[in-house]
Amino acid sequence: MRQNKHLLLWTSLVLLGTLIWAAVDENFLRDWRRAQREARGKLAASERADLPSQVRQIVLAETGAVERCVSCHVGMALDGKEVPGDKVFGRHPNVIHDPARFGCTVCHGGQGTATLLEEAHGTAPHCPEALLPKRYAYASCGSCHAYQDVPARAGLETARAVFERSDCLACHRMDGRGGTMRPGGAGGLEGPALSRVGMLGYAPDWYAGHQRKKAAASSGPWRSSMPELTDEERRSLSAYLRTAVGAPGLVLAKSLFLSRGCLGCHKVGGAGGDDGPDLTAVGRKDPVLTPYARVRGPRSLENWFKDHFRSPGRVVQGSKMPLLSLDEREADELTFFLFSLRRADLPMSLWPKDRLCVERLGGREFASDGETLFGAFCSGCHGSAGQGRSYPGLETFPAVANPSFLKLASDRFLADTIRRGRPGRRMPSWGAALSDADIAELVKTLRRFGDSPFAGDSRPARWARGDARRGASVFQADCAGCHGPHGAGGTAPALDNQVFLEGATDSYLFRTVKNGRQGTVMKGFGAGSPGRRTLSDAEIEDIISHLRSWRKGK
Amino acid sequence: MDNLVRTPMTFWSSLNRSGMPVSDRGRSGFIFSNVFLHLHPARVHRWSLRWPTTWGLGIAALSAFLLTLITGVLLMFYYKPHPAAAYLSIKDIHFVVPTGRFIRNIHRWAANIMVVGVLLHMARVFFTASYRRPREFNWLVGMALLVVTLALSFTGYLLPWDQLAFWAVTIGANIAQSLRELTDAVGMTAFFDPGGLQKLLLLGSDQVGAEALIRFYLMHVMVLPLALAALLAVHFWRIRKDGGLARPADVGSRLPPPEGRVYPVFTEAPQKTYSLAAIVRGKTPAVGNGPENTVPAMPHLMLAEAAVFMLTFAACLALSLFLDAPLKEMANPAVPENPAKAPWYFLGLQELVSHSAFMGGIGIPTVCLVGLALIPFLDREEEGTGLWFGGPGGWRLALASFMFGSAAVLAVETVAINFGWIREWFPGTPQIVITFVNPGTLLTAAYALYSVWTVRRYDSTRAGAIGLFSCFIAGFLILTVIGVHFRGPNWGFFWSPSMWGGH
Repeated sequence: MRQNKHLLLWTSLVLLGTLIWAAVDENFLRDWRRAQREARGKLAASERADLPSQVRQIVLAETGAVERCVSCHVGMALDGKEVPGDKVFGRHPNVIHDPARFGCTVCHGGQGTATLLEEAHGTAPHCPEALLPKRYAYASCGSCHAYQDVPARAGLETARAVFERSDCLACHRMDGRGGTMRPGGAGGLEGPALSRVGMLGYAPDWYAGHQRKKAAASSGPWRSSMPELTDEERRSLSAYLRTAVGAPGLVLAKSLFLSRGCLGCHKVGGAGGDDGPDLTAVGRKDPVLTPYARVRGPRSLENWFKDHFRSPGRVVQGSKMPLLSLDEREADELTFFLFSLRRADLPMSLWPKDRLCVERLGGREFASDGETLFGAFCSGCHGSAGQGRSYPGLETFPAVANPSFLKLASDRFLADTIRRGRPGRRMPSWGAALSDADIAELVKTLRRFGDSPFAGDSRPARWARGDARRGASVFQADCAGCHGPHGAGGTAPALDNQVFLEGATDSYLFRTVKNGRQGTVMKGFGAGSPGRRTLSDAEIEDIISHLRSWRKGK
Repeated sequence: MDNLVRTPMTFWSSLNRSGMPVSDRGRSGFIFSNVFLHLHPARVHRWSLRWPTTWGLGIAALSAFLLTLITGVLLMFYYKPHPAAAYLSIKDIHFVVPTGRFIRNIHRWAANIMVVGVLLHMARVFFTASYRRPREFNWLVGMALLVVTLALSFTGYLLPWDQLAFWAVTIGANIAQSLRELTDAVGMTAFFDPGGLQKLLLLGSDQVGAEALIRFYLMHVMVLPLALAALLAVHFWRIRKDGGLARPADVGSRLPPPEGRVYPVFTEAPQKTYSLAAIVRGKTPAVGNGPENTVPAMPHLMLAEAAVFMLTFAACLALSLFLDAPLKEMANPAVPENPAKAPWYFLGLQELVSHSAFMGGIGIPTVCLVGLALIPFLDREEEGTGLWFGGPGGWRLALASFMFGSAAVLAVETVAINFGWIREWFPGTPQIVITFVNPGTLLTAAYALYSVWTVRRYDSTRAGAIGLFSCFIAGFLILTVIGVHFRGPNWGFFWSPSMWGGH
């Protein structure tokens, strides 16, 4: 009984201690209480009463979501008492969207319901989404917004160079830079800010206006900084200003993605190939399903993306993605873009116009000129100017802008190849994703890259009358080494492809065999070369007939 | 006016009729005039008060239940049983409800302590042979309580509506459906499908969703607690009616002399005991054993119980202060957890389920429960009642059986893990063969044969029961450890969770 009395006493004391500790923890040590205490400490004594210790939250009227970030970041919204100039407790910088209405997580990620630091910032285990690194914050515009008709990367780079070179930043502010000069002399106003001019619009005759003012001024920035611009430069500037939508770098990053041919394998919002994973919502990649085992460095989505660019095959085993050889700046830009692919699950009534256009009305995020289309869909495999590519460990991709190829290939043959692809090979059929007009644009672009029009062909599509059996033995002797014994391809392209056999005319085949293809190991068989015998025209005809025998269901 | 002045006194005496417990009579009255305490005897045997007799396990389980009851009611103020709101309401409880996180942690720890307490209590009752006549029925009630406890725990598992909950319950529902393994083999699923019906009853739909959530919620907060409370009342009441806790026949010689401070016993000779004996079965205090070894329940038993209560509370709260109840990502039917694990106490079964869903989830547990239920009816011996490892063989037999049980389960699992099972050796083996020949069934058969052998060897059912029960404990422990620690994605074997990779 004495033992039991002691046990009762001591366990009661332990219990009491636990309860007291729980009370202390609850009332003084919660993360948000500490943060508010710290903020109060930074305020003047007279203002402290304005910041009572309480959980504060933003309730989003449209979605009903609750966000408690302002419990610690007391100054960010809801008329909290801010600590001026403080990074944590200060006021939110002026952005288009008011945090009190849009909440915090839609742009910054993280867990809005949480009041504990690690959970709110998403570093604790099992958090659905980590905080987006601050320098990628503008990527989250992509949660709701789309951007239509992104121009080709090269043009955009030039446009940016023109903008920088033309000294616009002397008087105008853009993305936090520039605006140091006052055109009206001392006390004058700076030029209008250009950060959002792509959305707000500007006078189409701005250049004439500027020139008038320049002519009127006798000195000052109007004379020193306002340059004469060529029409070409003005077009570039317009293109550049159109991308100024208050999200610095986002359109440029998007254009990098579109110039690297990523859409050849990946889908974004329905457009693109099927070889790689759909990237539409990759910026919200589920941490549970993301393989981090072989990623070097910290366990964050940012690092996953970058390490994956450095070595796709190491991070995702069995990945067919080629090594992109990006420099660090490009890798960072591409990461920025991937973070913009976030597709928030919002009811359609809350979608901004641009997203509605892109997802429901058939608008596209990339421009429809041939150069942009080639960059977006083809350049990943065929090279930025159709020069072909070979990646380590993958088959060689043909140089589609090869002049000797383009000379023999009719526009119809090219368009048909793009439309129907090469079934069974990496080349997918683009007939569903690209319209006939797009494909015509692409053909034109190829011609421009290779600088060679179709040489013309007066003969019918099928004229060869060779002997297929004789052709077979010639093929075995002279072609099978590179094209494979049954034409299934080896180091050289496959010849037994049904779409190819259907589209390629006899003249195309004949001339390719006879004259070869410039810049490749396919030398012409019409003229002898060391180690390779000359084929007579009749023999070439035999080979063609042999190739035709592979066509199924004529 | 006088009456008003005297009201506190009158109120007190109307509340506490027997006065302060200073005399034996007062102490008895303290117990039997109190609705909450009157399940206790007025006097309790000194044997029952020894710590090693029970280690307070039953009371510990009860106090854990009371804790879950109190915290559960508090949680109900904030919890919303709908898929769209459930997860967020748990987040709110965790992040903003004052002391919400603490309360939820206590609820979770108390539930775990309750499961452990019930299992240990059962082991105690078995090893002290306390299930014997006249306590057979109370053993059955205890088994029903075990099942209800596990059911309570399992239904509570779904309520947070996170990934852990969703996929654990999906597994559970598929186990309920696993009768199909049999009916499929016989080819009668199309017109008689008890497995599918079971799953449908459990979930109210063919997958875990809003219907399942409200069902589990109702079971968890109302049906099962009421069932548990009713069974508990029967369980406690039967302890008294069965003559208190089991004690050895020669208990007098096993107890030290009473302390000097023990209250005197029966100053007057009992007058009515024999007439009471005519209606109460069993041996009354006055017959045979003599009343010397009993002491008033107040304060001796009350103190002991209060100490155990307080110990459980303190342990549970201390754990809750430092270890948070888990909450994973919100349930997502499109993204299966890998590995998806049931609550830890079911992981031994899940390990068996990985070999055959029907046998692991329904067949073997049923065999175990039937076996446990039969023990008091088969073992009609008297030797060793009330003593730890009482009966033929004693603790040596228990230890040897535990070793055998461990060796058998390790051997079977080693083979299955290293070399696969019949499917890997002879692809195309029909499922019915695997259902009946798999590591789980072989293990059960080995344990049964071992038990039969012990019965023969010691010529005692009690010895057989000790053999079987020890094997059962070994199997349960080792399979649970394998399930908890050594199983990873796709239920593959891993030496440590850090080697899971990819996740």
